This record gives sequence, structure tokens and C-alpha cells, in this order.
Amino acid sequence: MSTATVVALAVLLLGLAGLALVTRPRGASTLEFYLAGRQVGVVTNACAICGDYFSAASFLGVAAAVYASGLDGIWYATGFAAGFVPVLLFVAAPLRRFGEFSIPDFLGRRLDSDRVRLISVTVVQLIILSYLVPQAVGSGITWELLVGQGIAGLTPYATGVVVSTVAITALVVLGGMRGTTWTQAVQFLLLLSAFVWLAVVVLASGFSYPDAVADLTAEPLANPTQVDGEWRLEADASRLDPDHSSYFGQPGGRYGPLGQLTLIVTLVMGTAGLPHIMNRYFTSPTGTAARMTTVWVLGFAGVFYALAVLLGTAARSLISKAVPEQPWLAELTVDGVLRVPEHAPLVLGRIFGGEAGLGFVAIGALIAVLSTIAGLLLASAASWGHDVYERHINPRATQQQAVRAGRVAVVVVAVLSAGFALGLRPDSLTALFPSIVATMVTWAFALAGSALAPVFILAIWWRGITAHGAGAGMITGAVTAIGMFAAGTTIGDRGAGELLLTPTIIAAPLAVAVTVVVSLRTRPPADLDRLWLKLHGTAADRRAVRLARLTIAGVAEKGGKR
Amino acid sequence: MSQGSLPLAGAVTLGWGIVYLVTQVLPDPPLGVGPTVLVGLGLTLVLTIGYPSALRGPRKARQSSRQARRQAGRQSGRQGRTIAAVGRSMPLRSGLTTEAARRTIALLQPLLGGDSVAITDRERVLAFAGPGSDHHTVGDPLQTESAARVLGRGKTSVVRNKKKLGCPHPECPLHSAVITPLAIDKRVVGTLKVYRLDEIPPPRDLVEGVAGILSLHLELSELDRERKLRVDAKLDALRAQINPHFLFNTLNTIASKARTDPEEARRLLLRLSDFFRYAVRQDRHLVEFGQEYFFVRTYLSLEQARYGDRLRVRYDVDPQVLTAHVPVLTIQPLVENAVKHGLADKVDGGTVRLKARVDPLTRTTSIRVSDDGVGIAPAVLERLASGETTENGGVGLSNISQRLEALYGERYRLDIHAPDGGGTVVDLHIPVG
Amino acid sequence: MRDAGHFDARPGFDPDDGDPVLSEIGDDYDMPTDVDASFRTLRRVAAGHFLVFLGVVVAVPVLTLTVDWWSAGRLIGGMSPSFVMAAFGLYLFFFALSAAAATLSNAVEERMLGEQEREPAEHHGDPA
Repeated sequence: MSTATVVALAVLLLGLAGLALVTRPRGASTLEFYLAGRQVGVVTNACAICGDYFSAASFLGVAAAVYASGLDGIWYATGFAAGFVPVLLFVAAPLRRFGEFSIPDFLGRRLDSDRVRLISVTVVQLIILSYLVPQAVGSGITWELLVGQGIAGLTPYATGVVVSTVAITALVVLGGMRGTTWTQAVQFLLLLSAFVWLAVVVLASGFSYPDAVADLTAEPLANPTQVDGEWRLEADASRLDPDHSSYFGQPGGRYGPLGQLTLIVTLVMGTAGLPHIMNRYFTSPTGTAARMTTVWVLGFAGVFYALAVLLGTAARSLISKAVPEQPWLAELTVDGVLRVPEHAPLVLGRIFGGEAGLGFVAIGALIAVLSTIAGLLLASAASWGHDVYERHINPRATQQQAVRAGRVAVVVVAVLSAGFALGLRPDSLTALFPSIVATMVTWAFALAGSALAPVFILAIWWRGITAHGAGAGMITGAVTAIGMFAAGTTIGDRGAGELLLTPTIIAAPLAVAVTVVVSLRTRPPADLDRLWLKLHGTAADRRAVRLARLTIAGVAEKGGKR
Repeated sequence: MSQGSLPLAGAVTLGWGIVYLVTQVLPDPPLGVGPTVLVGLGLTLVLTIGYPSALRGPRKARQSSRQARRQAGRQSGRQGRTIAAVGRSMPLRSGLTTEAARRTIALLQPLLGGDSVAITDRERVLAFAGPGSDHHTVGDPLQTESAARVLGRGKTSVVRNKKKLGCPHPECPLHSAVITPLAIDKRVVGTLKVYRLDEIPPPRDLVEGVAGILSLHLELSELDRERKLRVDAKLDALRAQINPHFLFNTLNTIASKARTDPEEARRLLLRLSDFFRYAVRQDRHLVEFGQEYFFVRTYLSLEQARYGDRLRVRYDVDPQVLTAHVPVLTIQPLVENAVKHGLADKVDGGTVRLKARVDPLTRTTSIRVSDDGVGIAPAVLERLASGETTENGGVGLSNISQRLEALYGERYRLDIHAPDGGGTVVDLHIPVG
Repeated sequence: MRDAGHFDARPGFDPDDGDPVLSEIGDDYDMPTDVDASFRTLRRVAAGHFLVFLGVVVAVPVLTLTVDWWSAGRLIGGMSPSFVMAAFGLYLFFFALSAAAATLSNAVEERMLGEQEREPAEHHGDPA
């Protein structure tokens, strides 16, 4: 498209790289590389978590889901936000207090078992990979629309995937966690401002949210489908009542009776097992701060998703009205409805802000992708470098060697995910799964919620859990989730497929049951009391707070005495 | 919670079910959504407000049921009991008079580690015993300047040489002294002086402790009934601290740990100082449960260090109860009794449980202290009921029940059960304050 | 100046202070029994809030399936109660619930672990 947007994009990427270089940790100790020294403020950390969390699935996917299926699409946003409630209730504070590097490290120490550590490393890597692929797909889609042409003989889609992967890999390899904590927070504020700007201009143009919902609900929901090589609008039958068509403001556009429930359970349980989100908690100064961070995250998430839903609705209502005046929309739409729903916020940006508006929203989308990829790569690096390399491959590794191992892992994982993304053709899948990015992300959530979260929560709140139990539980959860999912892709997302594609509601209870049964037959680690003091005691927190207070008092006194 | 909220939840659910049946299923056409919700909300409101009073029942009926229960308890001899009052005697209880001072000194002189002991009020010596009584006579005005300083500042003074003591008599045999104020509620009314004939002053802590007790007795002579009882409890707690069994055992434990686990010894020492501090500082009727809980766990962690694996503790505390107000120094004595009388004599030890709940609907705080120890012999239960004081200096149940009665009148319950499975259960129900 | 505060780092000490050396070391340790107690209470807090959370979240699809008014009624303009709930209501609810749970958990930890007496005692202990 325009050179202006390309230039803006280049400037942005350079800026981020610069920020990462400036805030780069001086001495490259492992601890600093991964955890930024833990002195990160509550709100900053909350912003950084949001930056990690709000990926392409949230930025493009939620609006797309609302655009394509109305009320049922909102359910995604609800699930993404709701996921932090269990994190707050069950995970945040104890996780921070136990104070290890990563989820595998946590489980390994808590259960005193290297086997558990290795199993969880495997699960974590699987989750990261299945989370990375849709992000790469999202950046490909964005590039396709924003730039529209490939570089060096690649398709536009492939160029988007490659460029974003290379850029963010470089950023992570150079910057480490401190770089990313600050950049993550800044990035979140940028993408939030993109949404706020879009919402403001949309509302200022006289858009009435309630009336739009009423108008959209007046007629049946129809989305473009390709029939015999021809695009045309097909009215969707309501999944709740196949004899009737579905409506924007009413349920049934996306899920049958079972689907809503299984999706929300999958999303709710998934967040507590996402490695890149959980790793952020280790950077909070105290357990209490980790808890308050989550409250902030929930506040931010509420604002963000409410805006995303509003924008999805606005896009549905406004784009079809704008088609006559905006000739460029013709190739993207079929009778006023977008072929790829992920384009919704981008198109809205162009309608209201011209090229600059499109550039702004596209940058927001790319940032969402980039920041999430950065978090994921870093989590991956932490678990390879720290949990595998330092412990099993080269126990006498110097810190430099460990950091280098982490960097190599970053590159390998990034290449792997880009490869998967290139192998997938999103437009071939959209027919099967509307709003492909959000759907793909639920795979990662399903795996995290089925394999990791149950064992994780049990390890925090149940004294009786054992290494054997946890190992068996994780394997059961992962195998069940993957198996059900594989079966689901052959059936499609109707009927039983709804359950199979969001398997947590079956897999997680199964994992819990296996963990409990096996644990009851084996012996828990010996020094449970000591572990419990660390996990649930606040002594270290109090010491940290006292130290902080003493420091502040000391500074104040010096200032007072002059 | 379970005793109050669950039935209400059931009643509300049932109410909505009936509303649904009557407005939606039976009539044709069904009632609109708005009115139905209104009717349902109204019913919920009535149930929620009316429920606590329904649970409490008519006042008279409850009274009689209480009495019935009490009688039943008498008959079986092992059921709930309310404890009657006991008195206590101490000379200074009647105020700071010459006679009381003389009797007090006679009691205290052997205990204080000094050669001579004196009690004064603000102007003159009320009693003196020991060497030097030839010129320090009763009724004399205060001669020493150190005494004047203590009266003025209200703080203990340690005098190490004769000159500073400032006795005008040239041949006075007294060399060193500890002079502590006797105070009623921060107002200094007199001094307790302990002298020695050599240069080493008497043990300051001991003198201060005794002066504290004497001050409390003086305070008692001036106070109204409730305050009296509260100070009584404080006094008991202080006495329990000075009680050699507890203190020496704890110090022994600390001393033995000092070599094997200095870190643990340090912690215990800290806890011990926390424990000492708590009782002395309480001058309110009611404190947050959280503070009492702090006192209890401080106490129990000391006892746990002493008894080791023989004493197991299990707390079961409702989050809401932490901010509820409870009478000061009531729970720790119950726990102390459980440890002392329930578990100390049991060879393989046992578990002390503290369970605290708040029922927001009936506005009741329930506290249960139970142990699976040797249980209370029927004879002891009888004695408790008849109001005899307990030995060993623990805060007596009688004191607790009196204070509860002064604070809450009839609106509390303090029951002791001896369940069939052994052990003892003390149940305390008080209104949320 | 009894208990001028344990943050006061004066060398030497007034004997009236009891043992300032000890109180300056602070209470940076927990007893296993205490931790177990606060753990249990926190687990009750978490489980209770989680049940409320689950109840409300599950209620939305359940209401969709059972009560017509939930998806057909009009609350604000064209929005059905179900739409309003999904578009704003649940986010507000999550935030309120999490704020309440976090505050309660912090309060529980503050009261059930560590030293209780120091803060109030500092004000109380100073007669001047």
C-alpha cells in the first residue's frame, strides 16, 4: 500500500529495537536476562502482562469473532478476560512467593523431581508452539492487507510471517527480559491507544452502539462463503435451532448448546497454564504485588475487550454502509461483508483515518503480535536454557553459556513456528473455522488448561500431590486434549466437534482425577513444611517490604538532613 | 456459616421456585417479567431480614430452653455449663493505705531479691521493712531525691551508689536500689522501692513486674465492675507469664535450641517477647479477632517448641472472623487450658483445634477450642461449675464468663462439653461487635 | 519514648524498650502451623470466590438455553440482557470480584501471618 505506512512501521520497529538496546541488562547474568531483577512496579508489570497476553487473537480475533457471529463472538473476549480470575485466586501470589524461574522449574522444585520438570518442559514447549503459530498467521494476514506485496519473491502473507518473526527474534535475543518488560508495557499502551482512538472516532461519527445492535439483529446474519469458486453471502443457520437463521444480537451464531460452555471452560482454565504469562509473575516484587498486578490486568482487560466488542459491532454496522463511498472495499467484501473477518478493525481504521488510520491500527495489530511473540519466545528460552540446558545438558554451564543456550532456543523455536505458519493457508481454513486466529489460539489454551493448569493448581493447594501423580496427570491431560482435538478437526466444529475442539471440560477433570489417584498411592516430597513456608508464607514478602521502607526512610532522612 | 446461611439459601431458592410456579406456570397468560422479579426480590428481602429473628426465636422461649439445657447438663454432669464467679484477695485491692502497704510488704519482701523494701505514696513512706528501718520510718516525708524523680517522671530508676540514693542519714546502710512507680492508669500514685546493702541493685525486671501487679491491684480498687474484670484477666495473664512453669520451660527450650538451632532459638525469643508484650498493652474491652489470634499462635508456637511433636495444632479460621471483635484475652486462656489440662499429661500428645466462624445473618461469632486429650474429669467439671478458681495461674474460666456477662449480658454462650470420643470442647458464641 | 519504633536504628538502647535488638531483627519468619492456617483460610477464600465466579459465568449460557427473555428482551436500545452482560457486565463483575478477592486475601495474610502488635503498639506505647 502506501510508502508512508511502511516507513511508519520501519520507524516503529527501529524504535522498539532501540529501546531494547538501551534498556539492555549490563551484566548478562541469567537472572537478569530472564527476570529483569524483579523490581518491576505493579502497574508496569500489569501492562507488560497485558502486552504479552493481548495477542493477534485479542486485537484482531475478538473483533473478528464479533463481526462474524455477533453475540457468540463476544464469548471469546469474555473467556480471555475471565482466565485471569483463577490466576488471581489460585496462582499469582504463591507462584511468586515460591520464586522459581519458570513453570517447569516451579513444578520441579515443588515436587522434587526432574522427571516432572522434563515433562512440563515438553508441555510448555508444545503450548508455546501452538500459541506462536497463530501469532505468525496473524502477522501474515496483517501484512497482506497493509503492504499487499511480498519481498524477495515471497507472497505477501509469507513476507509478513518472516519479517515479524525475524524482527521480534532479534529483539528478544538482544534485549532479554528487562528490555521486554518495558517494551511490553509500552507496546500494550500503544495498542490500547489504537483501540481507544478507533472507538473515539467511531463514536464521534454518530455511531450508536445500542441502535447498531438493534439494526443488526433485525436481519439474519449472513457471511461470505465460497461456493463453486464464487463468493456469495450465505445466511448462517442458528446452531441452537437449526430451523431458524442466526441473528447478530442473539446466541446461536457460533455455538450450539454445548459450545459456549466448553469454550469458556477452556479459556478460563487455559490462562493459568500459559508459560509466558506465568513467567511475568516472577518479576513482581512480592506475592501481594503479584496479586494486585492481576487485579490491574483484569481492569485493563475489561476495558480492552469491551472496546474490541464495540469495534466488532461497529465494523459490522458501518462497513456495509461505507461500501458505496469507498471503492477499495469492493475487493475485500462480498455485498458489504468482509471476506476475512480479521480485517474488520483495520478496515475501520482506514474508513475513519485514511491511510494513517490504517497504519495506526495495523501497527497496533503488529505490536500485539510482536509483543506476544516476544513473551512466548522468552518463556521458551527460559525453559530451554534454564530447565533443560543448565540442569541436564551442561550442569556446569557458566551464565554466559546458559544465556547463549537460551538465545539459540529462541531462534530455533521462532523458525519452527514460522515454518508451521507458512505451511498453513489461512484462507483455506477460514471456511472451516471463521476467525481463524482466535480459534487457533484456543488450541494453546486447551493444552495449557488440560495439561498444565490442573497439576499446577493442585501443586499449590494440595499437600498430597506427588511427582508421580503430577507426571501422570500432565501426560493424561496433554494426551486427552491432543487426541480429542485431532478427532475434532476431522469432524468440524458442529455437534460433538464443539466438545472435541475445546476439550478442557473433559481433559482437565481427567487430569485432576489421575493426579489425585496416583498421588494417593505414592509418597509426597519429604520436607513439605519447608516448601509450604516458601509457597504460602509471607516472611520473604515482609522482609522485602521492610527493606523497601528502610531504604525509603534512609533516603528521606538523608534528604531531610541535607 | 453452615448453621445459619445454608437453611436461608434453601428457603430463598424455595421461595423463587414458588414464585416461578405461581406466576409463570399456573396462570395463563403468565405474569410479566418485571412484576415477577419484583415479587421474587420482595420475598427474598423479607426472608433475609426476618430470618435472623426467626432463628433466634422468641426471647422467652430461648430463655427456658437455656435453662432446660443447663439442667440437663447438671444431670449428666458432662454437658454444657456456665461458670459462676469467684473472688480474689490481695491486700492492695482496698487501696493505697498504710495497713495495706504493710501487709503487702510482709508478703513481698522475701520475693523481691532485695534487703529492704518500701512502699510510699506521693508524700510519705507508707511501709518499710528491712535494714534501715530505724530512720526510714512510716509516716516520714520522702527524703531521697531519686524517689522524687521517679514520682515526677513515672519511670523506673536504678540507683547504684549511696550518694545518688540521697539519704540524709549519714549511717544509712543502704547502697543501691530500684525504685519503680506505682501507677493507676498512667497517674503515678506512689513508689515501690527495693534496696540492697551492696553495690549490686536488685533485679530490675522482677521489681517492675511486681510493681506492675501492685499497680493493677491499685487500679482495681478504683474501677467499675467490667474494667475490674478485664484488669483481672490482664493480671492473670501477667501472672501466667511470671508463672515459673511456662517461663522456665520456654527458656529451657530456647537454651537447648541455642546450640542446635540458633535460628530457631532466636525466633522463639522473639515470640516470647511478643507474648509478653501483648497482654501488658491491652487496655480496650474488645479487640479484633486477628489480634487475639496473634496472641494465641504466639503462645502455641512457644508451647509447640517445648512439646515438639506431641503438640499438634490445627487452626480453622473463617476469613470474615478476623475483623470481628472479641473480648480481649479470652481465647488464649481457653487454648492454654486445652494444652495444660488436655494434652500435657497425655503420653503421645494430641491436637489442639481452634475453629472460628462468623455467621453474618445471625451476627454471631463462634469460637471453638477443642482438644483430643485426657478430657475433664466429672469432678473437675463440677468444680468449674461451682466456681472454684483454677490452679497454675491460668486465666480462669470464671473470669472469662464474668467478663462476657458484663459485656454481653444474656447474649453470649460459653459451654464446655466432654464428647464421648474423649477430649474437651469449649464453645463460645458471642454477638458480632 | 517507649518503642520509638523498630525502624529507628539508634545504636545502644534504652533499657525500657525491652529488647530493641530483637525487635529490629524483625519477624522475618513464619511458623509452619501458622502458614498452614493461613493457607487453609486462603483456600476457603479462593474456592468461595471461584464458586461465585463459576456460577455467574455458567449462568450466562444456562440462561440463554432456558429463559427466553434473557436473549429476546431489550435492555438498552437493541441490546438484550445477554448482550449487555457479555459486552460489559461480565468485565465489571470480574474486576469487582478480583478486587474483592485480592483485598480479602491480602487482609487475611496480614492478620494471620507475621507480627500483629507492632503497628498499633507504636502509637500506643508513646505517652508523650
